[in-house]
Amino acid sequence: MLSFIGRSVVQKIITLFFVSIVSFLIIHIAPGKPSQVDPMNPKFTPEVVERFRKEFHLDKPLHVQYLYFYKDLFTGETVSWKDNQSVLKKIWERFLNSLPLFIVGTIITWTLSFPIGIRSAIFRGQFYDRSATFLSYLLISIPGFFFAYVLIIFVVNQFHVPVIGMETFGIGDGASLPHIFMDRIWHLLLPSVLGATGGIAVLSRYVRSQMLEVEGQDYIRTARAKGLSPEQVHYRHALRNALLPFVTMFGLILPGLIGGSVIIESIFSWPGMGRMAYEAILARDYPVILTVNFVSAILVLAGTFISDLLYLIVDPRIRL
Amino acid sequence: MANNNTLISVQDLKVYFRTGHECARAVDGISFEVRKEETVCLVGESGCGKTVSALSILGLIPTPPGEIAGGRILFQGKNLLELDEEDMQKIRGNRIAMVFQEPLTSLNPVFTIEDQIGEAISIHKNVGAKELRDRCIKLLKDVGIPSPVQRLKDYPHQLSGGQRQRVMIAMALACDPDLIIADEPTTALDVTVQAQILRLLKSIQKIRSMSVLYITHDLGVVANIADRVYVMYSGIFTEQGNTAQIFHDARHPYTQGLLASLPSRSKRGKRLYSIPGTVPNPAYKPAGCPFHPRCPHAILTCAKEYPEMCDYGQGHLARCPVLLEGGDGYK
Repeated sequence: MLSFIGRSVVQKIITLFFVSIVSFLIIHIAPGKPSQVDPMNPKFTPEVVERFRKEFHLDKPLHVQYLYFYKDLFTGETVSWKDNQSVLKKIWERFLNSLPLFIVGTIITWTLSFPIGIRSAIFRGQFYDRSATFLSYLLISIPGFFFAYVLIIFVVNQFHVPVIGMETFGIGDGASLPHIFMDRIWHLLLPSVLGATGGIAVLSRYVRSQMLEVEGQDYIRTARAKGLSPEQVHYRHALRNALLPFVTMFGLILPGLIGGSVIIESIFSWPGMGRMAYEAILARDYPVILTVNFVSAILVLAGTFISDLLYLIVDPRIRL
Repeated sequence: MANNNTLISVQDLKVYFRTGHECARAVDGISFEVRKEETVCLVGESGCGKTVSALSILGLIPTPPGEIAGGRILFQGKNLLELDEEDMQKIRGNRIAMVFQEPLTSLNPVFTIEDQIGEAISIHKNVGAKELRDRCIKLLKDVGIPSPVQRLKDYPHQLSGGQRQRVMIAMALACDPDLIIADEPTTALDVTVQAQILRLLKSIQKIRSMSVLYITHDLGVVANIADRVYVMYSGIFTEQGNTAQIFHDARHPYTQGLLASLPSRSKRGKRLYSIPGTVPNPAYKPAGCPFHPRCPHAILTCAKEYPEMCDYGQGHLARCPVLLEGGDGYK
């Protein structure tokens, strides 16, 4: 067990190293230079551009730039080219903003997908299954941004609550604590539900097909031949086996913290990680892009590591 | 036919599978009985309806597409086909237990041996944790698993194929059933292990005085364990009788063909006989006798008239009027 963890960590560090090289190269190979973001700005004279290039080591060869960047990253000195603020601090703030959205969205997705998928499998081909299937495909086919606007219009017209941003602008002045709390909840609700809908539609289909596959196995017939009730067969014998693949998926949702919510965060002006990364790309703010990239690589690797560990715990067939 | 000695009696059972516009008559009117402390074999090729017959006794036919189209299954006087799901659950595993063909996939991979055997007991019997464990150990000992206490914590993948089948048998024995249905329990095992499992089943049957309904395609196994034999072809019985009658005095061309294709010492070095053709698709059975397209003795009437059982005395019946002595038998 310990040797597995040790080996796995070493492997992941090596992977991370290659990811850092590849992402650095891709950023620099991509067309467009940071100095060309705003060529019409009269302040950007050739001399100023040259001075910035020197200051940010953009005049050095690539491998030197690479070393400079990762030296700064590990000493925590990386600063954004846009506003000269510490990148790690920026990311941490945005991370804390994204976290509630991510957690609530994930909880909604996972708590709804499983009951829906399992019931669809049990009542395969019946009314419940057909309506669940229809709804899933409907939710998958509707573009997220369109659905978001429909929901915003509906909620704002019906309940007269503000939904854009993380809180109502200027609410901090003199409002009571419960009031601020409810305001936050209202702001959190819509983006989380929207983030979850697509997930529910897809995940419940996976759960259904996984459950159906397990229900066809020989050991399910054995369980029934023992005299177990259908509920015991479904929820004890079938479900335990059907859940195994989702343990893997559970680790892999971690990277969703960054990439999963760019559209939602943009629509709702939510100051989260995804939106920050998106804005950094538009501004060609290399330090921010690369750091976000690095953090998401770490999240992916941590996610797979957690899945491996969980798999080890839940599947008795996997032993080291 | 039913008397006090009869444990289960299946009468004119019909099981159909409907898919789209097709209707596969997997079991098409079979009648048989198993008496107390008797081993009865259902023999037939793959796809002739053996397993479906066994599953329908336990009410495990998936419906839809499956459908019990007729007949009765009398077990200790009760018609199992008329029981509701809850009453069926009290019979499954308790009075009638089943051992399946594939020990590799028939045990749940995520539960320990103790969980799975213990569950089979605790569904039907109210026993404490300590006694449950003792019973599991006793069962494993009974089926000949070495160091049963250690095996309790094992998962199925840690056991060999033969051991898994022993565990399956232990599970079937858990509630001391009156009837064990063994559906090709040795097919997936290699020959030496097969012999062990057969010996085990035989000795357990004697000790516990149970009845066994043994389903197989292997005539060698039949000769070894059966008291009485039913030969099945395309959803019907073609011949039935005790083991001696079937093996030494076969009256149906199909049984004769099966016996002729058995390897034996006297046929060493010669090419083995095989029955030409294949089992008909149960959705498109030929008219008349279902075996007539493959039958060496077939006459024109065979393709038109459905043959009746002909009595050869002492319970020996064969569904072939052509070979009945003194004429072609069709009226």
